[in-house]
Order: sequence, then structure tokens, then C-alpha cells
Amino acid sequence: MTGRYDRAEVIHGRVDWATVAIWLLLVALGWLNLYAAVYDETRGAFDFASRYGMQLIWIGAALVVALVVMLVDDKFCHILAYPIYGIFLVLMLSTLVLSPEIKGARAWLMMGPVAIQPAEFMKFGMSLALARLMSNFGFSLGRPIDFLRVMVVLLVPVGVMFLQHDVGSAVVYASFLFMFYREGLWRWIYIVLGIVVGLFFGSFWVTDTGLLILILLGCCFGFGFTFRNWRAPLIYLAILALVSVSGWIVLNGVGFEWRYYWVLLGSALVSLPVVVGAAYARRLRGFWVYVVMFLGSLAFVSAADIVFDSLDLHQQKRILDTLGVESDARGWGYNVNQSKIAIGSGGLLGKGYLEGTQTKFHFVPEQSTDFIFCTVGEEWGFVGSVVVLGLFCVLILRLVRMGERCQEPFGRIYCYSVAGIFLMHVLINVGMTVGLVPVIGIPLPFFSYGGSSFMAFTLLLVVAVRLDLGSGDIEASRING
Amino acid sequence: MKEGVLRIFVVVVFVVLVARLFVIQIVDGSYKTAAENNALRYEVLYPPRGEVLDRNGEFIIQSREAYDLMVVPRDMEAFDTLLLCRIVDVPLPRMRSQLKRAAAYSQRRPSVVVPQLSKETKLLLDELRIAGFYTVYRTVRSYPRKIAGNLLGYVNEVNTADLERDDYYRSGDYIGRSGIEGAYEEHLRGDKGVKVNMVDVHGIVKGSYGDGVYDTLPVAGRTLTSSLDAGLQALAEELMAGKVGSVVAIEPSTGEILVMANGPTYDPDELVGRERGNNYARLANDNLRPMWNRAVQAPYPPGSTFKMVNALIGLEEDVLKPDYMYECNLGYHFGNLSVACHPHWSPLDLRGAIMTSCNAYFCYVLRNILDKPSYGGIMRGGYDNWADKVRSFGFGQKLGTDFLGEREGNVYGSGYYDDLYRGRWNSLTVLSLAIGQGELGCTPLQMANFAAIIANRGHYFIPHVIKEIEGVAMDRKFFEPHYAGVAPEHFESVVDGMYMAAHEDGGTVKTYGMVPGLDICGKTGTAQNPHGQDHSVFLGFAPRDNPRIAIYVYVENGGFGASVAVPVGSLIMEQYLTGAISRPHLVEYLKEKKINYPHYDRQI
Repeated sequence: MTGRYDRAEVIHGRVDWATVAIWLLLVALGWLNLYAAVYDETRGAFDFASRYGMQLIWIGAALVVALVVMLVDDKFCHILAYPIYGIFLVLMLSTLVLSPEIKGARAWLMMGPVAIQPAEFMKFGMSLALARLMSNFGFSLGRPIDFLRVMVVLLVPVGVMFLQHDVGSAVVYASFLFMFYREGLWRWIYIVLGIVVGLFFGSFWVTDTGLLILILLGCCFGFGFTFRNWRAPLIYLAILALVSVSGWIVLNGVGFEWRYYWVLLGSALVSLPVVVGAAYARRLRGFWVYVVMFLGSLAFVSAADIVFDSLDLHQQKRILDTLGVESDARGWGYNVNQSKIAIGSGGLLGKGYLEGTQTKFHFVPEQSTDFIFCTVGEEWGFVGSVVVLGLFCVLILRLVRMGERCQEPFGRIYCYSVAGIFLMHVLINVGMTVGLVPVIGIPLPFFSYGGSSFMAFTLLLVVAVRLDLGSGDIEASRING
Repeated sequence: MKEGVLRIFVVVVFVVLVARLFVIQIVDGSYKTAAENNALRYEVLYPPRGEVLDRNGEFIIQSREAYDLMVVPRDMEAFDTLLLCRIVDVPLPRMRSQLKRAAAYSQRRPSVVVPQLSKETKLLLDELRIAGFYTVYRTVRSYPRKIAGNLLGYVNEVNTADLERDDYYRSGDYIGRSGIEGAYEEHLRGDKGVKVNMVDVHGIVKGSYGDGVYDTLPVAGRTLTSSLDAGLQALAEELMAGKVGSVVAIEPSTGEILVMANGPTYDPDELVGRERGNNYARLANDNLRPMWNRAVQAPYPPGSTFKMVNALIGLEEDVLKPDYMYECNLGYHFGNLSVACHPHWSPLDLRGAIMTSCNAYFCYVLRNILDKPSYGGIMRGGYDNWADKVRSFGFGQKLGTDFLGEREGNVYGSGYYDDLYRGRWNSLTVLSLAIGQGELGCTPLQMANFAAIIANRGHYFIPHVIKEIEGVAMDRKFFEPHYAGVAPEHFESVVDGMYMAAHEDGGTVKTYGMVPGLDICGKTGTAQNPHGQDHSVFLGFAPRDNPRIAIYVYVENGGFGASVAVPVGSLIMEQYLTGAISRPHLVEYLKEKKINYPHYDRQI
């Protein structure tokens, strides 16, 4: 036919419209929700100076940026990856000197009337830079020199964020572990990390007895899984349970009022030589892993507990504070409790749009930024929350799918990075409002107030969509068309 | 395989979040205890505001228990409005308009209906339990000595600017607005507490939520110890009755302000309670401007009390020696310019000139300073050198005191005269500066500080009214000496002159100022002004060696310095140093003395 092609038309045919639709839906819901969070019946009608007004301006700007990104050649992403990374790194460094201190962190850069937060955009720069680096021919994460390069690209900005006292933003960079897994990072790192993180948080939620039971179950499960032998661990657990429970009852009967924890711990430790002996006799290689895991977990938990408990309350708060757990004049549990009350009071269907009471009284601090999900939970209820979370879930799964669909490693790495970043933000942000994760002040994509984060998330997503479209496809369609 | 694991991981994360939401929104009922969603009421617990003591441990600001009646319009039901009005003693129309205003502000947020009720009223209201209403504990100010209104400042409700500036405040909170209340707001306000109560649909408290784990206690504001002497301040205010002006007394060795009294003043209790609005309007509209803190805001011409500044600069510049003699022929005459003087012996030296307050002598001194040859003329630095030296005494700038509202006063640079006279002026043009007139404005605080500098022979400490903050160290700057640009050895002859003024026949201060045994040193001033009678001024300190009090008295249109300002200053010093007054008739005379101020009425 004719050799001419209309670029816009081609784009129209190939764009992952489902992703775009989810994005637009999230933006719309996010803005409506922000309006509700800031909504004040005492104020007048629409007001551009208010937070929802400002956010609307940002949304407009983001749409323009999105359109521009869709229309430029995707090779630019490749070419500009390092320069973009470099520019944001320089901007971040300049915040150390130039920026005023806001809420204890030096992370904002004043550009005339707008304050931008280079750390938010750094996620975008980092995703591009890592995609560029890791898509080099012959790159392998298993090779020490390549691994080192990745660490340098990753840890330099993270270091700057620690200098800015912006621990929240730094934690997000753990999300690149998601992409590294896909690119073949050593599996054991994930297992060890998983256990350490699990135990750390576990020690905040469950009692020591619960934690001990979990550790025992975990070891037995691992054993069963590795040796395809489920009978032995089950029998062991049964005996252990029987002995410890009856022992506990008897001990209490004779007057030793010990807690069950100590009895169970004692029984487990006493049984350890027996179990080790039996395993050794059967030549089960690799069995030591689970013994080390069991003892290591116990040591980790008790060490963390002993150290933490020996500090006085004020020092504990300090530690939680430095861990990125927010400190508040009314005690560090205050925010989370307020937030849970707000969400919990929403019930199944919520109180209705603009009808929230908890969020209106400013009981929940950082209502329009970090704790924006409270308004969702309170006004839209369980159903609304699940819809919002469902949209995020589908969005992330689509990103994974787009990554797999890419023919170039560059696109795949980039899409996985974006998926990881979104997952991390949703997990931490929603997790902290429902009390699952310690309070770390990071935004919920498209929901939290803030121009920098909104723009950064838009860029992350739109570039992924653009990369998914691919330049090869356009050429191909031209030839075919 | 790998992407499969990651997909499962993503789904698991979301399932965990949803499960958690399911638990807190559907399963766990404790987040919505009552049928209505207003189960929890967050009651702010207000801390008592910090109190202020005087230097002898006597209360000058106290916090009194009071209760505000609050309403949450949404929770209101039909009730006996008349009964409520009777209990809180508010007329029905006012109650109606208050409730309307509360509803217009917010249906859900509490508003104050009637502020500052007594404990008895609060107990009555608690018994009635009217749905939608409750009382909160607040403190209101009371002023046992009823003194120093302007200095202590007042407290009022926060405005929108305060709310935006500092998120400590919520609508209806009180904030220190001026004086000590304003300057020490962050120390005085304390920390608020919060009490989370479970409330049923009738608005009745059913108990504390979560056994009070989420409650915090308020922390009371800090107690401040003022350097003021309440008794002395009260005496100064009595003596200034019926007059417009100001008295400031400072302890020279520390810079602590002992007295800061204005005439006219007001009773600080007038700005507390229900009549506050009316009283405020009355005071604000008073022609004599009682709410203007003249002590730190009025740039008065200092008159002859400024002569010592010129003497000291002359000595430092080496254009004057204490034994230099100048003639005075009823004034200073040069060409057709004259500065008049009163009759006294002539010629006289520096000590005699200060003692008799000779105008001519200081005209010679100022001209010698300004025209000192080494500066090459008045416009090439002679004048600016003088002005810099004047500023080194703290004039023409804020001293950096610890309360709000201080003004700079005026000491102009040579550029001012260049503009005014288009570059054609000389030492004769500015001759009135020699006797503290002309383009010169000094606040009473600055002049009292100058008295302290003479008393200390060359240095001062920044004058301040708070000497101790409970649990917090004072700012270091109040303990660091500031040196005037004149060496200590030049002060002795000036002190001699001031001593002679109060002790030798013919001295301007002696008649009403001398108190045997107190070694008072002083200087009168009689400042000309365009508003009729001269202002009566006195600057002094006592005793001569190791002075314990430095004072400045300014009485607008009081006539000769010796007639009003001197006895006021002398009585206050006597009371402070001896704890008694030996001349009660003088106190009675001054209390009764009223001065008319027709020009204040015309100003409006």
C-alpha cells in the first residue's frame, strides 16, 4: 500500500489500553479522595489554592508529559538513561546544601513557587539507569564486577537520602529486589532477607510464644519441603506439642507457674540433640541448614528483644524514629491507632463520600499525604478499599506482563523495576495505615498529595507503556501497512 | 518460573492487605463501638498556662481555673434553652446567635458557646447532661497586683494567621499577644493532652477508650520569674497617675528591669473575661492611648539628660577635659544664633556645667566634637563619628530586650542632613543636639539603659524583664556585657557632676531629689516640644558607688525637670534602697497632681 504511516494511529493500535485505563481510573479516584480528605465544610466552593486545586494542576501537567513521552522515540529512554540519572543525583546533592529543613528532612528543592523533591524522581532515573546497565551485552548479576556496578548505581542515591534524613524514600529502593529476582539474583539472599524481616516485624505483632511456634513450624516445613518427607516433622511436632503441653500442665499443677513459652523452648532445645543425632544417622545432607536457621532465629529474636527492652521508653522511641518509624508528640502509636480507627470505622460499605468523620477532625495526621488511605477506608469502606487495592494489583501484574512481553532486556528490566516500586509503595503505605508495617512516610501512588511524587509515578508508568509499545513494532507496522 | 513466583508474590501481598482490611473493617468491632460513628470523642486537655512571679516571689500573673461550654451542633437535641441561659447567665438572643454561629462553623467540630464559666456552673451543667454540650477545663489569667498592663501583655483567642503558622493551635485556643505573654508564649503555653472517650448517641461519656492507653496528660506551662519589683512598680504607677509619661528603672549590674511603668496605664484584669471586648474597645479609643507602651515605643527628645552623652564623647575624643572652662552669658551666642540658658555662675567647668545644666557649655563641647580637625570637617566624618559613638550607647537601635514591641528611636546619619539642607550645613545647624533637642528620639528604656551605663562606668547588660525560666536556661546574651565606645576613666567627672547636682546648693536635682545617706546622682531635663509645656525629665542612679538602681522618668508637659520627674525618681529610688518613704507628703502631692493634655484630644 502507501508507505506512509500515521504515528499516532499506530500508537493507538498498540498501546496497552488496559494499563492506561487503570491509570486514569486511579488518578480520578485519587483526586476525588484527596478532595474528600481536604474537604472542609466551613470553606467555600472550589479553590485552586487548596491542595486538591494544586493537585489538579499537577494532573494536567502530568497528562501533557504523558502525551509527550508517548510521541517521542523510545530510543531516547536508552540514550538519556544515564544523563537523567545524573541530573537527579546532582539535584539531590544540591538539596543537601540548598534546601530548607521540612519536618526534619532536607529533601525539598525550592524552584520558585513549587517545591520539588528530587528523591521522588530519582526512582525514575534509577530504573532507567539500572535498565541501561543491566541490559548491556554479557551482563550478569552473578559476576562480582557487574554486581558491584549495580550496587554503586543503587547505593549512591540511597546514601544521599540518608544524609537528607529521608529514610522513608531510601527504604523504597529495596523494591529493586523485585526486579533483581527476575534477573537472577542469588535465591538465598531472598530467603535470609525474608526471615530477618519476618522475624523483625513478627516480634512487633506476635507474642514470643507465637513467634517460637512460627519458627518451629517454619523449620519443619522447610525440612519437609527439602527432603520430601512430611511424616517425620509431623510426628516430631506432635510429640513436641504433647510433651510440652502436658509438661506445662503438670508443672503448673505442682506449683511451678512457668509460662508456656519457657516449657516449649525447653522441650525444643532438649529435643535438638536427639533430632540432630537421628538426622546424622540417616545421612541427611543439608539438614544443618534448618538447625542453624532455628538457633539463628531464636538468637536474633532474643537479641533484638533484650537490647530493645533494656532501653528506656524514650530511647526506644528514638530507635523507632531513626528506623523511619515516625515520632509524634503524643506517642508513636498515636498515628497508627488513629488511622486504624478511621479505616475500621468505615465498615463494609463506608460512610459515603465526604461523610467521613474521623478524617475530618484532623485526628489522623498527614491526612492528605502519607495517611491518605484512611479516607478511602473510612468513606468507601471495605468494598471501596478492595477496589482500589485491586486496581493497583492488576496494574502491577500488567507491568509484569508488559515486562515479559518486551523483546529487549532494557524494557523488561525497566517494567519490573516499575512494578517493584509500585508494589513497595502500596505495601508500605497501605500497610502502615492498617498497622501491618511501621510508619514510614512514603506516598500512595496517585492518591497522596504532592506534585513531585505524582509526576514521578506518571513518568514511571508512561515510560513503561511507551517501552512496551516498542520502536521495532512501529517499523514493522510501517512495512506491513 | 521466575515471573510466576513474582506474580504469586504480588498476589500474596495484596491478599494480606485485603485480609488485614477485612479484619479491621468487618471482623473487629472495637473500631466502631456504638451504632453511630461518633463513638469516640477526642477531648483536648488544656494545660494550665505558666504563671509569672516578681523578683521577690510574689505572683504578678496567675492562672485561674475556668470552664468553656462547648457544643457539637450535630449531637444537639431539643433542650430547655431558657434553663441553660439561666445557668450560664447569658441572654437568650445571644445564646441563639452563638448556637447559630457554631452550626455555621461546623456541624461536627466543637465550638465554644460560652467561655470562662466558674466551677460551680460547670458542675451544674455536668449534672444536667444536655446532649451535644460539654465543658472543657481552661485557665484564664488573673493579675493580683493589677499592675504593668502593657508590660505583661494580654492573651486572646488565636486567629487564622496563628492557626496556619503553628499547628499547636486549634480554633478557640488562647495565645499570648503582647508583652511577656507574647514574648514567652512558647514557655507559658505548656503541652496539650488528649483524652479519648467513648461516647454514646446521647453524647454521654461512657468511659475512656482502650483503658486510656491513647490518652496523654497535659504538661503545665513553665513558671517565669520576672525581674520586676511588684511593689515598686505599683508605687511608680501611683506616682504617674494623672500624667502621661513613663518610668523605667534598671539594676545596672545585671540589666534586670525593676520598674517599667507608663502613664496612663490600665488594669490588666480588664482584658480578661466577658467584658474583655468592651474594655478593649474603650482602651483602644482612649485619646491618651493607655495601650501604647511608651517606655519602649515613644521616641522622646531626651532634653538635658542627653548632655552627659556629649560630655562623654567629648572626653573620649580628647576635645574636652573635665577642667575646661567655658563662659555662659545667659546662653550660647554665635552670630545671630542663640541657645538660651538660665542664670548661674560663669565661667564653669564640666562638673559645674552638669550640676547647673548649662546649655552654652555643651554647645561648645558638641561643636568641638563635630569640628574636630582630625576628621577634616563635619561632613567628612565629624558628624558620623559622633553619631556612631551615640549609637554605641544603645541609641537609635533596638536593645534586644525580651519582650515585644521595642522601637529603635532616631539617631540620624549625616545623609539625613545632606538631604534636608541640600549639602549646606555645619555644626551650628545641628547645635540643638548639644542639649538633647532636635532630630533625636530616645525611648525611656534606652535612656534608663544610658543611666545604667553611667552607673556601671561604661558598659551595660541588655535590659530584660524575665530573669528565670523554670527548667530552661536563659539566653546567654543577657549575661554578656556590652561596652559603650567611651573608656571607663572618663565617667568619673560626669558622675561627680551628677552627684553635685543632687547634693550642692544650686544643683538642679537637690531640692526634691536629695535623700540623705543615699548618695543619689542625677540630672534633670526640660525638653521643649511643640505641644505646650516642656516635658519634665529625670535621669539618675544610686548609690554613687556600686549603684543598685538606675532610673529614667519622663513626664509629658510636666514643666521643669525638677518639679515632677525628679521627685518621682527620687521616691522610687528611696523606696527601693531603703524599703520606706521618708517624704509621704511628696507622694500625696504627686498622686494628686493632674496635668491636662488638650493636644491629645485634638489629635484624634
